[in-house]
Amino acid sequence: MPNGRKIATSTNVSVCVSAPPAFRQQLLAAIPRLRRYARSLVFDAQNADDLVQNTLERALGHWRQFDPRRDIVLWLLSIAHNAHLDGLRRDRRLDVLPPERVTEALDAQQPLGGDAGLRLDINAALERLTLDQRSALLLVLVEQLSYAEAAEVLQVPAGTVMSRVSRARVAMREWLDGSAGSGSARAGSKPDLRRVV
Amino acid sequence: MSRPDDFSDTDLSAWLDGELDVERHALVEARLREQPELAARARLWAADRDALRARLDPVLGEPVPAGLTNLVWQHREPPRWARAAVAAGLVITGALVGAGGMWQWQGQRSASVIAAAQSATAAGTPSGWVQRAALAHSVYVPEPRHPIEVKAQEEHLSRWLTRRIDIPVKLFDLRDEGFELMGGRLLPDANGKSAQLMYESLDAAAPKQRVTVYLRKPDSGAPTAFSYRQQGELGQFYWVEAGAGYALVGALPKERLLALAQAIYKQQPPPLAASGAAR
Repeated sequence: MPNGRKIATSTNVSVCVSAPPAFRQQLLAAIPRLRRYARSLVFDAQNADDLVQNTLERALGHWRQFDPRRDIVLWLLSIAHNAHLDGLRRDRRLDVLPPERVTEALDAQQPLGGDAGLRLDINAALERLTLDQRSALLLVLVEQLSYAEAAEVLQVPAGTVMSRVSRARVAMREWLDGSAGSGSARAGSKPDLRRVV
Repeated sequence: MSRPDDFSDTDLSAWLDGELDVERHALVEARLREQPELAARARLWAADRDALRARLDPVLGEPVPAGLTNLVWQHREPPRWARAAVAAGLVITGALVGAGGMWQWQGQRSASVIAAAQSATAAGTPSGWVQRAALAHSVYVPEPRHPIEVKAQEEHLSRWLTRRIDIPVKLFDLRDEGFELMGGRLLPDANGKSAQLMYESLDAAAPKQRVTVYLRKPDSGAPTAFSYRQQGELGQFYWVEAGAGYALVGALPKERLLALAQAIYKQQPPPLAASGAAR
């Protein structure tokens, strides 16, 4: 005897288990930016693309969790960030490429142009930053996210992003001034800039 | 006018990033006019930013490796139930892995029944039909197009299965536990026919999961204890009650599967004889 409960009729028996094409299109469009961010995080081009692949797999496996009202790039950067952290936990080697290896890896990627000297130095300086500083700096300066957006990606408060970016700039510049052996920049304004604590 | 301690690197950095409010922005610009060395520092930071972009922006223009493009187009979500089916399939062809965890139904069952069931499990028995339930689960749950034979239209499905397997088939409502009935199918069993009901998780945010309930007319003398066993990812609760054998199969954590088993147990129909619905 059927009782009063109504069992909802399953009209779609062949349940769609995979990401819809529109979602895949969005992923494809986001790949170049993902690759750029990954390259800046892990330096080595092959490792960077491994990170991108890992990110895409996670995104495809969890596509239902993506809120279409959000910017998919932010979502993907956030996944990449977490995937990178997971990767570091699994394998510390990713983060400790020796500086000469970093320069080598980056040089292999593209011809040098413009201020090649500064760019080489920038690579080495980047490598010396902590991951926290580096990711915040890259999201804001290279990905050109707002502090609020970077905060969303990194899952930290916007104020934390602000101070990490600032500290990253200071650290990078200090290293560049020191390594360049030029006293002009170093002797400049530093004494006037005191952090308000 | 200038108060050195109300100004920090952070202000200059945020100014470069366009993140300051109007008041603070004006303060930084005033300082930059007053202090040439500060302006020089800002220019260096801006140059560093430009160098970073120049270093990394070319990646945007690189051709995307085919491997990544193919991954996006060809990726199929590996369903949990597919992985479970693989695990179960491997086990089904072999001997039982261990005796499986035995579990006492809220202390309602007597120890002797439990012990009997345990020894049966240890001997690799209870088991024929539970094994068939697991196998049927593994075969039909990963099926994308035809996981069920008859959709969940309560009266028809229930009547059809009841008529075929000769025990009352009730379409358990597991929505409170987050699962919705998809439908059911008729299956061959050692001593006749059995029915399989399939349920799918309702949580849209998580990967879909499916569980099955296998129903059959029990062999006489079959152990009736409420039991649990685990094969790979696949958990199975099974019991015999009121003239029907039940096996709930799913790749879920034991507690979650137990909650479903309890919901089913509470909704179990009375035996045909007791309900007076002799057929």
